[in-house]
Amino acid sequence: MFGFREVVTPALEYAEVLEEPKLRDSSFKLFDPDNQMLLLRPEMTTPIARLAAQSLAGSPTPYRLSYALPVYRRSSVGRGQSAEFHQAGVEVVGSGSPAEDAGTIALLVDVLQTLGLHAPDDFAVVLGQSAFYGGFLRHAAPEAAPRILSALAAKDLVRVDELSRDLTAEVGAAVREIPRLVGPAADGSVLDEAARYAGGAAGGEAMAALENLREVLAHLDAHGCLGAAILDLGLIGRRDYYTGVVYEVYASGLGFTVANGGRYDNLLHRFGKDLPATGFAISLERLISILPHEEMSPLLVLAGESVEATRAANRLRSSGVPVLQLAEDLPPDDASRYARSVGAAWICYPASGDDDALKLARAESNGEFFLVTPDGVAGEVLS
Amino acid sequence: MSGLRVAVPKGAIFEDALRALGGAGLPVGVLRENGRRLIYEANGTEFIISRPSDVPVFVEYGAADVGIVGKDVLEEQEPNVVELRDLGTGACRMILAAPAANAAEVEEAIDRAEVVRVATKFPRTARRYFEGRGRQAEVIALHGSIELAPLVGLADCIVDLTATGTTLRENDLVVFDEISTSTARVIANRGAYRLKNREISTLLDAMQPEGALRG
Repeated sequence: MFGFREVVTPALEYAEVLEEPKLRDSSFKLFDPDNQMLLLRPEMTTPIARLAAQSLAGSPTPYRLSYALPVYRRSSVGRGQSAEFHQAGVEVVGSGSPAEDAGTIALLVDVLQTLGLHAPDDFAVVLGQSAFYGGFLRHAAPEAAPRILSALAAKDLVRVDELSRDLTAEVGAAVREIPRLVGPAADGSVLDEAARYAGGAAGGEAMAALENLREVLAHLDAHGCLGAAILDLGLIGRRDYYTGVVYEVYASGLGFTVANGGRYDNLLHRFGKDLPATGFAISLERLISILPHEEMSPLLVLAGESVEATRAANRLRSSGVPVLQLAEDLPPDDASRYARSVGAAWICYPASGDDDALKLARAESNGEFFLVTPDGVAGEVLS
Repeated sequence: MSGLRVAVPKGAIFEDALRALGGAGLPVGVLRENGRRLIYEANGTEFIISRPSDVPVFVEYGAADVGIVGKDVLEEQEPNVVELRDLGTGACRMILAAPAANAAEVEEAIDRAEVVRVATKFPRTARRYFEGRGRQAEVIALHGSIELAPLVGLADCIVDLTATGTTLRENDLVVFDEISTSTARVIANRGAYRLKNREISTLLDAMQPEGALRG
């Protein structure tokens, strides 16, 4: 639907590939025969950037790449969290257009909705622009900017308030209020307030960032998924490499992000290429934990190891019924317990003495058997 | 009413927390019933009561939307939560102290970069403090009665929280450095802060002891 090509990268990367201290700390490390340090990749964005800069050089940009691969992180001792988990995502490398940012966000929303989640009740994409607040600070309060940004990165708004008190009243108010601007993207008030706070003191970088955010929102509107987005101008992204739009997906009832992404225009510098890029990663384990329970599949367990049973199974399959033939003559209670364990809604036996009849029952406990023809089974099971 | 689940800490800042939440119009009366229940519901707001050090855990995992907790606990645990407001109450200090009899000796040992043994309920805070001074310390983590440790030779000094200093004086301990000061903070889960932003902002605005600041 969106034209992405799936790629696979090695699980092992040279340690120099990653520069973010937190990611390096959380990585498993090993040494190759030349004593070079290797890492088990702790995330996918950097390996994809390396792949795009090195292996794809020469082919026309933009590269639209997708992946679904395991990543590895050392979890804190004793927390019992898995050290291996799966990420699926896309990266668009070689385009700086806000249409690509919006396009990847729309794809993310599409994926979540296809899986049965609905915005804004089940999930929301929280959207920020890391260059807006940073740009404003570098222009209006250059000396305090690094300390304020590091307080905000730690999500310590109390510290941001404290630091703002040393600034002039107007700049101080903007420093305090901009990171607290949160609201539905569909209503324009968050951006209007941001523009008002930044006011005359904003500087070119911040105003360009705000304009960029407006364009992304216009494209999201055209994709029909503006309603899934919440703006948060205090969101600056937890990786140092984000340079523009950043976003995190939250689901109601789950305290952690389900997916996150954003624009990282400088990351490919590290690999000798000057290519802007944007993309996201979904944490598959967390996604699965919030998915609605699926309906029982129309699978049928046919119990019996006789030739008649095999023939019946074959005949049912040819009429479109998915059949798991359990080649054991199990009593109905055990057969239905087995059926429930594999998510099958029905159990079935060949009727003794009648080639053209089957005994069918629901796999719930105490399901009543009734006699049907093989074609009748398809009608019952697939309806 | 608010649709939020609020984590309230037992102990020293329990009353401060109730005053702040009650001042914001939340029905906190149910929490004063002195029952043994751990979860209360009133007018659409749920309250859970937990140990202070567990409040950030409930909030980080999203089991509570917001919570009230001392800055000392946040500095020790560094949870991934949004820190929204300083309530200004429950003020206390994180201090380094040693028995009066050998305080000078311990201070000198630290100055000479000897490895001292320090007992504390806040091992990460203690380690960070000594690392910040370029010193190494053997940190012994205890769960209570920290003041006892140097009196019986378990440790040379302690890193602990004190509000009035009474317990320190009674055990003949003297403070020789202040590591940080702490007050009660309002924290929120990262997801709830965005998904229930209106409810949380309303609560914060109503709590406003620092009203002057927002203008």
